[in-house]
Amino acid sequence: MAALLEAKGVTKVFGGLTAVDSVDLVIERGSIASLIGPNGAGKTTFFNCMTGLYRPEKGSIRFDGHSLVGQRSDQIIALGIARTYQNIRLFKGMSVLENVLVGQHVRMKATPLGAVLRTPSQRAEERQAREFALELLEFVGLGGEEETLSTNLPYGDQRLLEIARAIGSRPQLLLLDEPAAGMNPRETERMIDLVHRLRDEKGITVFLIEHDMKVVMNISENITVLDYGKKIAEGKPAQVRANPRVVEAYLGPGVLLDTSGGTEKKIANDE
Amino acid sequence: MKKGLNTGLIAFAILTYLTLIGLPTRLAGAAQPVLALLLALFIFAALRSQAKEMGRGALLQGGLVAGLMAGLLLVVEIGYFNWLLGDGVKIQPIFDKVVPLNMAALLNVRAGTILNGEVSIVAYAILTAYLGLAGLLGSLLVLFGHSSVAGAVQGARIPGGRWLTILLPFALFAFIYYLGLDGVNTFGNNKNIVRLLLVLVATGAGLFALAAAKEGLEKLIVGALLAAVLLSLPFVLNQFQNSVMNIVFIFVMMGLGLNIVVGYAGLLDLGYVAFFAIGAYVYAFVAAPFSSPYISALLTGMGISPASPLLGYWSAIPLAMITAAIGGVLLGIPVLRLRGDYLAIVTLGFGEIIRLFMLNLGDLTNGPRGLLQIAQPTLFGISPASLTTHLDAQGWIFLLAIFGSVLVAFVAIRLNDSRLGRAWVAMREDEDVAQATGIHLVQTKLLAFAIGATFAGLAGQLYAARQINIFPENFTLFVSIDALALIIVGGMGSIPGVVLGALALKGLPEVLRGVDEYRIVTFAVLLIVMMIVRPEGILPSARRRRELHSAEVATPIEDEKMGKKLEGGRA
Repeated sequence: MAALLEAKGVTKVFGGLTAVDSVDLVIERGSIASLIGPNGAGKTTFFNCMTGLYRPEKGSIRFDGHSLVGQRSDQIIALGIARTYQNIRLFKGMSVLENVLVGQHVRMKATPLGAVLRTPSQRAEERQAREFALELLEFVGLGGEEETLSTNLPYGDQRLLEIARAIGSRPQLLLLDEPAAGMNPRETERMIDLVHRLRDEKGITVFLIEHDMKVVMNISENITVLDYGKKIAEGKPAQVRANPRVVEAYLGPGVLLDTSGGTEKKIANDE
Repeated sequence: MKKGLNTGLIAFAILTYLTLIGLPTRLAGAAQPVLALLLALFIFAALRSQAKEMGRGALLQGGLVAGLMAGLLLVVEIGYFNWLLGDGVKIQPIFDKVVPLNMAALLNVRAGTILNGEVSIVAYAILTAYLGLAGLLGSLLVLFGHSSVAGAVQGARIPGGRWLTILLPFALFAFIYYLGLDGVNTFGNNKNIVRLLLVLVATGAGLFALAAAKEGLEKLIVGALLAAVLLSLPFVLNQFQNSVMNIVFIFVMMGLGLNIVVGYAGLLDLGYVAFFAIGAYVYAFVAAPFSSPYISALLTGMGISPASPLLGYWSAIPLAMITAAIGGVLLGIPVLRLRGDYLAIVTLGFGEIIRLFMLNLGDLTNGPRGLLQIAQPTLFGISPASLTTHLDAQGWIFLLAIFGSVLVAFVAIRLNDSRLGRAWVAMREDEDVAQATGIHLVQTKLLAFAIGATFAGLAGQLYAARQINIFPENFTLFVSIDALALIIVGGMGSIPGVVLGALALKGLPEVLRGVDEYRIVTFAVLLIVMMIVRPEGILPSARRRRELHSAEVATPIEDEKMGKKLEGGRA
């Protein structure tokens, strides 16, 4: 598999705090990869560097032949990277359908003049956008909710809507920031299934931040671990799980005295 | 008891306000009964929500206390005014409607008695008794008429209520036509003002009728009939009524433009008058015979006589619109990164800068002396007002304002329902996420400013034609405040709301000229009341209503589901 995204030496500093410290990372095309680490490890900061919300001080991020550093976030989504947010950030005053339509903004071409005159091409585009939005809502499991005000959706459904809005932009790479946070086990199952279907049916490469180890170990083909902004491990789930530095980052140095098998279970259970 | 006293205090404030704007003078002999009736309605509205908690006795007592409280305070207040007036103190410079005539109407005595300081205690007692009884009437209304009156107000709840709402404006318009017939002398001296009030109310009722009509053919028919009636108005109203209605519709055009900037895109612009001024001045530059020393010299230098208008009304439209749009972009660029309060302050400054330019660039704009004799709009070179005696100059401007409003509303509706409209709302909701969703913020914001400014420019041009002579003082901050207040009152983001807001805030003050003196106080109180009672505006857009009442909407649905579940359980 070829690399879809390649980050080299990405560094982001806030005042005296180095939130992301020369992180190298490769995401394979068509894979499902995860970024994990304790709270404050710099995971979301790294996401923000990838999507143009932050500009990294050092390093380069190349995506599909384009350099991302210095691009605005609207240019980056146009290149094909869409994302969701840790604390859900829907357009609250808009209906479910409208949220997904805004998601398609970057793939639509109608001009204001075209909208005023309702040109045939504008009408066709609006119709297609509407159909595509309904299709996506069906895909994530929100069929029939299109007229609901987005804030009135249950919490779990709001996360699904964020994903629908993100894939409205027809991305190649989808970044999910803690998609299963705050979900009950049934909703989590649904989310895992959805992530698989995103890759298998839509062909979207998925890169996610997640704290729920069950989700991470279940769906990731590759895991990168951050701690204090530094990459401390990466590899297949089994490799990462066995890595003593990861165990230390999560549970503190004393735990290493314990037998390795027991600690592994402890990570899986605690997280 | 406490509730009654509180209600009485607020009622007193309202009565004071009505007195200060000179309502008693207008009502003359009917002042006491009408004010009492208004008080009764207010007390009904205030106590209505308490009906269940308070017992019958407490309710009656509350109403009586509220009425007496308001009455006593009012009597003390006007007693003091009368004492001052009787002593020959001139209070008009501050309270311009506190004149013997007004006080006399309120107390139902002759004006002379007040000047001589001979008002008997009986007159005061009668007023207090009147208002006390009104309070009692209000609480009786709560007791007996609660359900039926509330039902009637809600309209839709009673059978045929929808048709009542739809037919009401037409009935009112028919009455307006009737009042305009020769020889009809209903309302005597007040006929013209009552007719204007009816036109405002009927136009507003038309909006509700349109909202009540069912989607499809019914809405189309009601809309077409209303449009026909509206278009006939300039031909049947007199000069004064037309001049009020055309300023209302000029403000509709402006409000619709500001609605795009504030309502859709969420950019609080307090300097909106700048674009209105740009539109007006651009038209004046090209259409006033002597526009300014500089331009006149320039034209003479080019061998063109400055005495004849350079461009006609129609050919000047693109120029006014483009110049205003450029102004919008020029304002937009420096404020791109500002949000909320900061944006409001900077735009406020911009509005003042444009006005100060007009005032101080004397060579270009003729300064405070203004630009005079601006050419009137014509139709193929002839003035329609000269063709028929039914259409005066103000009526012709009114007609143009209606067409302008329809055009602007059409563009606003189409844009709102498009990719750009969604981008504006998304930007208003969350700017960072909107950008990360692919919305080009710079472009989207500048488009909002430019399109909003274009509409204001169009309105400004028509305003210049209406005024014939324009001066920098026509374009103060208060124009911006008027435009903003009308969209807040009408309902942010709602097009019928803008029309209703313009009718209420630009039209009604003309009926009660006294309101003008207290415009700022009135707006302040009105806005506070709106924020408490109906934050989404009188005729809100569907989106806004959902937003502000999402909790209330959600509850009944839940209840319904619960109900079904319970029923299912029983079965």
